Amino acid sequence: MREAQAGSGAAMARLYSLHWRGAYRAAYLVVHDASAAEDIAQDAFLAGVAALDRFDRRRPFRPWLHRIVVNRALDWARREALRRRVDGAESVFEPLPPPEEIGGELMAALKELPAEQRAVVVLRHLLEYTPGEIARMLELPRGTVNSRLRRGLDRLREAAEADSFAEEGR
Amino acid sequence: MSSDRIGRALRATAIPEPPEAEERGRRMVAAAFAERKSSDASGRSELWGAMTPQTSERRPLPRLALALGIATLLAALLLSPAGAAVRDWVGDVVESPAPKPEPELARIPGGGRLLVQSAVGPWVVQPDGSRRLLGDYEEATWSPRGLFVAAAKGRTLSAVEPGGTPHWSLTAAARVRDPRWSPSGYRIAYRAGDELRIVAGDGTGDHLVNPDTAPVAPAWSPFGTPEVAYVNAEGQLRIAGSEKSASRSGAPPDMAGAAAGRDVTRIEWGAEGRLILEVSPSQLHLQRMRLSKLEGRSEFGPRTELAIPPGTSVVDAALAPETQAVATVVTHWRDHGTNSEVLVFPPGAAKPRSLLTVPGSLGEVAWSPDGHRLLVAWPGPSQWLFLPVGRARPRAVANISTAFAPGERSASFPRVEGWCCAR
Repeated sequence: MREAQAGSGAAMARLYSLHWRGAYRAAYLVVHDASAAEDIAQDAFLAGVAALDRFDRRRPFRPWLHRIVVNRALDWARREALRRRVDGAESVFEPLPPPEEIGGELMAALKELPAEQRAVVVLRHLLEYTPGEIARMLELPRGTVNSRLRRGLDRLREAAEADSFAEEGR
Repeated sequence: MSSDRIGRALRATAIPEPPEAEERGRRMVAAAFAERKSSDASGRSELWGAMTPQTSERRPLPRLALALGIATLLAALLLSPAGAAVRDWVGDVVESPAPKPEPELARIPGGGRLLVQSAVGPWVVQPDGSRRLLGDYEEATWSPRGLFVAAAKGRTLSAVEPGGTPHWSLTAAARVRDPRWSPSGYRIAYRAGDELRIVAGDGTGDHLVNPDTAPVAPAWSPFGTPEVAYVNAEGQLRIAGSEKSASRSGAPPDMAGAAAGRDVTRIEWGAEGRLILEVSPSQLHLQRMRLSKLEGRSEFGPRTELAIPPGTSVVDAALAPETQAVATVVTHWRDHGTNSEVLVFPPGAAKPRSLLTVPGSLGEVAWSPDGHRLLVAWPGPSQWLFLPVGRARPRAVANISTAFAPGERSASFPRVEGWCCAR
């Protein structure tokens, strides 16, 4: 980060290479839309570039980036939910071709969670932040984070058990 | 169920990723970083060296710094995948005569699909040269990934599958022209009479953007931001958001404005959102756009003129995909007749290079989706010219008029509306 702040493109490139994949995955797991996830991850890095001079180098880059990613993903998911309610029907928008494998019952269950629950699950279990850190990132009371986590995990537990049965049955 | 198990699943599960998403983001971030450090040319060179895959880190020598500074933008763009094609011909282009034509279009050189407007309607041409008439529409444009075509006839705008099946139609208050589908696929901008309007990709939410525009097709921001550029009746290039506002008219607020060139006939927003090309019969201008995606809007930067040869007029021009190269067709008016020339301005270059000169008049020019070729219309001998920007052999295909007017003896020459998406 220090080198990037000093103007080193190589350092910025290293930051990008180190964190892009995680940022994209986190965004995707919240929005479940590949194009939107790409935009969100890209936006987060652009925010990083724009704020480079103001960045407190004593703080780590990773949580700062993930905070932007997840908040933007939440904004996108809320807008998308609103759009669907307003439009009332699916559009002829052009989704990317579906992947050959998205990942079983657990992913399907994650997709069914409300975006707010998905976000805390992703922050806790993919990015491994503590509930306290998540509360600060999303500017939520810690109790709210815990309850969203609990409700999300309850839903995922059922899906994971279904996955287990499926695996054993093979 | 353990937390570990969920974490492992979230980390390991395969998720879809748009092709080249990481590389696209890398270029975007590199561009933003370069813009931030725009006064430091050597730093920018280092950046591009470092941020381009398969390229070793560069440590430019101090004595080369000035030259690198001048060449930075060009070099940066040439290192991108689409710029690779441009790189091939920079320094290698030589004027060549028109190639001997093939009798029919047996395949599209380089692949992709063409949308061609003929007197009887728009046609979709597949990579193998086969073609299908979509209907008796008067205009048509590709959706961003070529899954649909937006087609206009009279006061009707329709979304049509490339096979010809219509999805929806709307009827406007005036004749519909110049539909343009946004890169996200979520919006279509079009003109109805003098109005610029936007409708969602599913045909809903039709609303006014500006009531008084010039007869120029709108151009969407390729950033994916919901912004559309248009020319208003006063000849000013403007940017508008695409969402309805709470005002009485519902028109979204204009976000910026700048004087456009005289008699602008076409605008194109490209180069990853950093340039708007303005085409007029006498001039070509590049309007630089500032990268301000974070603020959700674009701002105008400096505007530069591309120097066309004296005594020529511009027939058409187009920005290459993802780079700042501009291809243009110009006509030389001479005492003994007319010559036409295909010129290409390499990224960042003020002067063009000539690809081809032919007698008579050339028509529109279109870049292939990969930026490796140009398709240039040559109505006189009824040919399409496929001009590679690398070292590949140019090709010509004859009998184009009759190919898009079966059964007609004297068919008008069709117009290429778009070259889309190799899929």
